[in-house]
Amino acid sequence: MKLASRKTATADVTRRQRSAHSSKEALYWIGPAALVILLIFGYSVVSVLISSFRYDGDWVGLENFEIVITDPIFLTALKHNGLLLLAVPVLIILAFILAVTLFETRRGMRFYRSAIFLPYILPIPVVAVVFGQIYQLNGALNIFLRSIGLEPLAQDWLGDPSIALGTMSSVIIWKEVGFGVILMLAHIISLPNETYEAARIDGAGFWRTHLSITRPAILNTIVFYGVIEAITMVSWVFNYVYVMSNGLGGPGNATMVSELYIYRAAFQNKAPELAAVAAVFLFVATLILMVAFFRIQRRSIAGTFNK
Amino acid sequence: MALTFREALRVHGTKENRLDFHLQHADLAQLVAHPTCNRVVRGSSPLVGPKKVVDFILKYVKNWRGAPRQVEPDCRFSPTFQLGGFRRMKSKKVLAIGAMALALLLSACSSSSDETSAEGDKAAFPTEDLTLNISWWGEQEAPGAQKWLEETIALYTKEHPNVTIKHVLQTTDGLIPSFEAAAAAQSGPDIQYFWGGIYTQQPGWDGHIAPISDYLSEEELSHYINAKVEAGFQGKVWTAPWYINPSFPLLVRKDILADNGLSVPTNWDELMKVCDVLSAKKITTIAGGVKDGWFGGWIYSILGGQSVQSQADVINAVVGTTKFTDPEHATWWTKLEESRDRKCWNDDINSLELYQAQQKFVDGTAAMTITAGPDAPNFAKKAGGDEKVTIMAMPAWSDGPLAGKMGTTSQTLGITKWSKYPQVAADFIKFSHTTDRLNAWYAATGSMPADDRFDISQVQSASTKALFESALNGAPYLENFIPAQLDADAVFKNVQLVLKGEVTAAEAAADKQAIMERLRKSDRKLVDNFTAWAK
Repeated sequence: MKLASRKTATADVTRRQRSAHSSKEALYWIGPAALVILLIFGYSVVSVLISSFRYDGDWVGLENFEIVITDPIFLTALKHNGLLLLAVPVLIILAFILAVTLFETRRGMRFYRSAIFLPYILPIPVVAVVFGQIYQLNGALNIFLRSIGLEPLAQDWLGDPSIALGTMSSVIIWKEVGFGVILMLAHIISLPNETYEAARIDGAGFWRTHLSITRPAILNTIVFYGVIEAITMVSWVFNYVYVMSNGLGGPGNATMVSELYIYRAAFQNKAPELAAVAAVFLFVATLILMVAFFRIQRRSIAGTFNK
Repeated sequence: MALTFREALRVHGTKENRLDFHLQHADLAQLVAHPTCNRVVRGSSPLVGPKKVVDFILKYVKNWRGAPRQVEPDCRFSPTFQLGGFRRMKSKKVLAIGAMALALLLSACSSSSDETSAEGDKAAFPTEDLTLNISWWGEQEAPGAQKWLEETIALYTKEHPNVTIKHVLQTTDGLIPSFEAAAAAQSGPDIQYFWGGIYTQQPGWDGHIAPISDYLSEEELSHYINAKVEAGFQGKVWTAPWYINPSFPLLVRKDILADNGLSVPTNWDELMKVCDVLSAKKITTIAGGVKDGWFGGWIYSILGGQSVQSQADVINAVVGTTKFTDPEHATWWTKLEESRDRKCWNDDINSLELYQAQQKFVDGTAAMTITAGPDAPNFAKKAGGDEKVTIMAMPAWSDGPLAGKMGTTSQTLGITKWSKYPQVAADFIKFSHTTDRLNAWYAATGSMPADDRFDISQVQSASTKALFESALNGAPYLENFIPAQLDADAVFKNVQLVLKGEVTAAEAAADKQAIMERLRKSDRKLVDNFTAWAK
């Protein structure tokens, strides 16, 4: 008994020693990169944080925060970022449907795959300029709608404040969906074929197969894509908005988003301290999304292993 | 004959002294080359006598012995000079050079000021190879400007082979942000293009530009049109006007009006009647595009300017003495609303950019448009010239002193604070105002250079001549007297919303006032700066 417990204790010590050694080794490997990241990102974050409490070099406490929080334009920008998040489920559903459809497509899969992925690799300014023309009141889309007798559907897509944000999100969806399709399709292709064969033998149809087999199997990828797109909607839509609204976030403030608010505060309105405050808010929002992502991912991986 | 310190040394100093001077005392040369100090040294200022020059030199000779320090020449805008290099000098040597410099400078001061000024400019000119960078805008509203600029650069660099000049044409939306980025880095162009008024004042207040009046004589600047009204600040002038922007003319196609039994409107009511008739026939009366915002600012200036007495009224509303909801500042919104209700504008005004919309006028699908002043003659030419087109101020809706008058503003060039060769930059700007270059500007762009030495009699087109004359005696261009942020956040935005029918005139005025109040809180120097500007 004693011998057994001594053996266990020795094994524990060895394991601990090994673990300590490997942690140390890992630190050596990670150290330089971590240091660079810390210097580059850490410095920027701290610098922005300090700027947010200053005005013209003087410490002003929370004065800048009060100005930004009570600024209706900033609140509108945050609201719009929130509304853009509604595009994420649309993106996920669309990407999933397209991915499984492509997976089931026997002929021309490569062509369709490239066609769907193409918008993702196009430069955003090019996309925004082209859609800016298409969506004009007398642009290509409305000309087409009028030509087929759908005049009532012709709208001032980017000139009408009530629909401008929706129009812009349609462009974002068109461009971003390809990324999700490729991610999901890559994962689906790697799944074992036997599962699908077994499902077919059991009489499962298209939707049943993909909702009950594919969806849970690629959940990690779906979550990953969802979080990436959520981060995009919160902090990566600047280019679309800047080009399509000529840097104004208009008409009115209909397409104003927090990134554009930051840009305008820093480079057009010469208020870097207000830009810093808005950047702090944006940083916190992105951080929350990333933490949420890692938590969901950990839970999902744990769930997969438990199964 | 006047000599700069550098020249004096070259002429009178020993070989050893010259070498010492060039190798060890470049700082002093830089100091003397600095226009503020150079002016003192050259004695071009009537207020500076020989005694002041002696005090000036003694002050710096004394400083040579001390610990390294920054020595500020006695002017608000001057850069600082590091005199650390002088530490290595032995005191005897220092005193000898100092005494010699003193003697030579005193002799230099005895010359007449006119002669010294001209000679001094040449003498201060660096002889080493150098590059100037110009960041500019203007081809968009004065086509041909790029050709003129390249030609001017070629001629200037031919005269000054050690100078290389590069230029970058900025986009409309990118002009200010690119300069702000350069200012944040304190690195970038030597010569920067600025629109007039607040667009010139703000970078000056922020310390990003050196006043052009530090580098060009008052006599020279007195010829630059709108220099003091728009770029002047407490006795200094920030930037040098380049060309005039009559702001903003209404271009009217007489042929389209005549075809529809109409004549050129002379007041607001007549304009509204024209809108009624043409809109009934599905013809656009005035073509415009507000998607990029700028057109909104124009409309504010040409409609809003009609109910104020002067630019001082606008500055009063900016600093909070009056309000933008007061009738003198708010009534124009109702006029804009009326023009929308009378269907004066193209239906796609909200989805078009400024320049896209103006094309409708050239195409003949709109009877009128509003263009940038420098581009107006070109538009008129494209649409059939004086026979078919009239260039005029926006018809008056009020009897205010500025109603029915053309606004005037000058687009300017400024020298950045970080430029290593401000005197060369200033010299280039001065070169661009020589008679040959003024005439070449008109020939290349068809617009008017901002210089009263330009001979207006060479203008053949009657409408263009009238445009130039109206700009010479024009009203202040109001958009240039409000904060740029107010322009973008309140004017651009609310013009879009009023034209779309999303807000009423009263709501637009109230929003502008609310934004102004918030701006006074967020820009804590705004009131002081505008108040100082108004003085």
